[in-house]
Amino acid sequence: MNQVFWQQENCNELQSFLHIYEFALKRNSSIRLNSFDASCSDGIRIYYIVEGKFEWIIDGYPCTLFPTDLAVILPGKKLEAQKGYLEIGSLYWICIQTDIQDYLGNWSSISSSEKATIKNILSITANPVLSKLPDAGTLFADIQQELKGQELGYATRVNHLLDELFILVARRLSRQNISQRSFPDAFLKLEETLRKNLSHHWTVEEMAALVGLGTTAFSDKVKNFTGFSPLNYLINIRISEAIKLLKRPDVNMTDIALDTGFYSSQHFSTTFKKLTGYTPSEFRKNNTSKT
Amino acid sequence: MAAKKDCIITIELGTNAVRVAAFDLEGNSIASMKGSYPTFHTEPDYSEQDPEQIFITMLFVWKNLLNEHIHSKKLRVASICFSASMHSLLAVDKNGVPLGNAITWSDNRAKKEAQQMKHSPEGTIIYTATGTPIHPMSPLFKIAWMKNNDPERFRQTSKFLSLKSYIVHQLTGEYLVDYSIASATGLMNIHHIGWENKALDYAGIDISRLAELVPVFASAGKLKKAYQNSLGIAADTKILIGSSDGCLATLGAGVWDDTRATVTIEDSGAVRVMRKTVLQDEKQRFFNYLLTEDRYVSGGPTNSGSIIFEWFARQFGDFKNPFEIEYTIKDLIQEASKIPAGSDGLIFLPYLLGERAPIWNANARGVFFGINIKHERRHFIRAALEGILYEIYSIGRTLEEYHKIDSLSINGSFAAIPFFTQMIADIFNKNVTLGHSYYSVGLGAYLLSATEMGVYKNLDEAARTVGFPESYSPRESDHLAYVDCYKLFEKLSTHLSAEFETIADLQQRIGQ
Repeated sequence: MNQVFWQQENCNELQSFLHIYEFALKRNSSIRLNSFDASCSDGIRIYYIVEGKFEWIIDGYPCTLFPTDLAVILPGKKLEAQKGYLEIGSLYWICIQTDIQDYLGNWSSISSSEKATIKNILSITANPVLSKLPDAGTLFADIQQELKGQELGYATRVNHLLDELFILVARRLSRQNISQRSFPDAFLKLEETLRKNLSHHWTVEEMAALVGLGTTAFSDKVKNFTGFSPLNYLINIRISEAIKLLKRPDVNMTDIALDTGFYSSQHFSTTFKKLTGYTPSEFRKNNTSKT
Repeated sequence: MAAKKDCIITIELGTNAVRVAAFDLEGNSIASMKGSYPTFHTEPDYSEQDPEQIFITMLFVWKNLLNEHIHSKKLRVASICFSASMHSLLAVDKNGVPLGNAITWSDNRAKKEAQQMKHSPEGTIIYTATGTPIHPMSPLFKIAWMKNNDPERFRQTSKFLSLKSYIVHQLTGEYLVDYSIASATGLMNIHHIGWENKALDYAGIDISRLAELVPVFASAGKLKKAYQNSLGIAADTKILIGSSDGCLATLGAGVWDDTRATVTIEDSGAVRVMRKTVLQDEKQRFFNYLLTEDRYVSGGPTNSGSIIFEWFARQFGDFKNPFEIEYTIKDLIQEASKIPAGSDGLIFLPYLLGERAPIWNANARGVFFGINIKHERRHFIRAALEGILYEIYSIGRTLEEYHKIDSLSINGSFAAIPFFTQMIADIFNKNVTLGHSYYSVGLGAYLLSATEMGVYKNLDEAARTVGFPESYSPRESDHLAYVDCYKLFEKLSTHLSAEFETIADLQQRIGQ
């Protein structure tokens, strides 16, 4: 396929796609010094290697990309070449505007809760590089074809292909983050993520996606392994963190409720009392003075 | 209207999960539920658990069990009995607030402290007095570690508790520790039942910083009002402080003063016998824990239980679906069953996590020995299983130097897989029996409560009621095949000790 370099502000191909800042297929046949300066973007960038070997630093992490490898650079993260120039080879990239509310904007037909999950998977991955993902290459080629040809329905097709690309990337990332051979290990990793973001109102869909399972299979596995439904297990973590904070007299009740993921201090109080028999303030009183 | 039927609740605070069970007064299981909690490894050698999560998980499961199976069936809770894993340590301040997480038995941070003490004259005195092997698992060395490495936390600590003592304190406000849990701390004199001064001096604490020592039948105190209400348990319900998982698994397997031993295999494993006297071993290979004033549970623990075979399955098994290791293991066992006992001369040492009894070598590592060109994948599978059981056998053989063993009583989910149960019978060349449930810890706790209530005259009578619906007899020809391999297994385990040290050092240096 011919190389292309389309930018939103100066081409016809992207006119119907305000969310696509840039789409390119570049064949780099010679090394030019300083041809790849450190860069940031407020959009999300996806690079796909067609030929060659590229040594980059993404958000501080050095990585080496080979053909069929893919890298995701999140908004505001820095991409630089280890040697300061773009190596010989060819690669696709696309840069997509992210939406504050929905992450992927209205153009996407992915549901908003799934958009949130995709955002989550991308953002908890320290180094979003996927190796051997030829399917992504096919998607890039199809997108290029559609943008070039502009045949009937091409606007719909391009956005669908983008959705497919994001779904493919998110699914593969969650499987790469967690080995699917040991549920105890996968669950421990999930639990660490939950504890780090305890104020977030986690849904079962989000949790399931993080270990790369569907919701039914995930709920069954969690029930079998922990004895609890995923949401009840989450309540365990929320309450046990809350207990720790209640035993420190310097943290106020509303902060405890919100920091540990309850909707309000009322919601916290009801759940706490139901489980322990104490209201949070009674519990605090009993545990902070010398008995 | 008929009077409410009585039941006994047992609460087992295990390594990975809490299991709450209900029994009728005859010992039939009414219901059982579990709730798991995580172990955190924040640094190499660290192994910690969140005491609040364990507490809340226990409450949650307990409440669910009561609501679904007890209150709804109009049963009355007559007695409650606790059990817990051994060797945990939790430091709390003067208000009883935890200073950090609980340190579990598998934590190795105190390895330097234990190493220095091992085989020193002082170490021999402490081991002989306390019955707990000189090993980083022992709370004694965990406290010493804290004194040396975390002096601020050591200073702030008002009490050094076991996890069970902490949970009981949350529920009743009492600081208590039973003989069984205390005898696994390295701090208790098991001969005259009291805290051991030499150990206290070494740890740098006095008895005011430990919980009060009580027998396993003692009351854990009265449940706080709020818990009485939220659980629906009467104020006068007897709560037994109970015992440890190791002691209760032995009692629950019906072992009492006889020539039977228990073999427990879960993630880790143990072989145990019950005795009236302490089992003295110059080489310090055994533990001696106290069940009652005149009964010791003696034996040896291993690190290499099902966790080793699960590792093998994850690396070399076929996964048709994500996470379905049960099927993978089933397939592997089927393959292993197609070749003869002894794996055509392939031998596996299962020491991926170092080993405790009988070699007590933290530097030991896994080995496949004797691979030839005809060995196939299935030989490796079978050899892995045999290696895990040879390790169990080696503990049994060392015990037999002091204590006659005629038959074995099996518990733990791994040992209860029929293919393994038969292999255990063949390797040991002894009859093997299997109880109604492989969770004999709960049954042991029931026997304690029921004896305390007067259902049985004493624990002797109680232990005799344990039934064994299944039994396996050894097969002579297989035994002979295993014996030859075992001899080599035993030799390799000890002869390789210099090489184990070298490889452990090498792995440490290259950052594994």
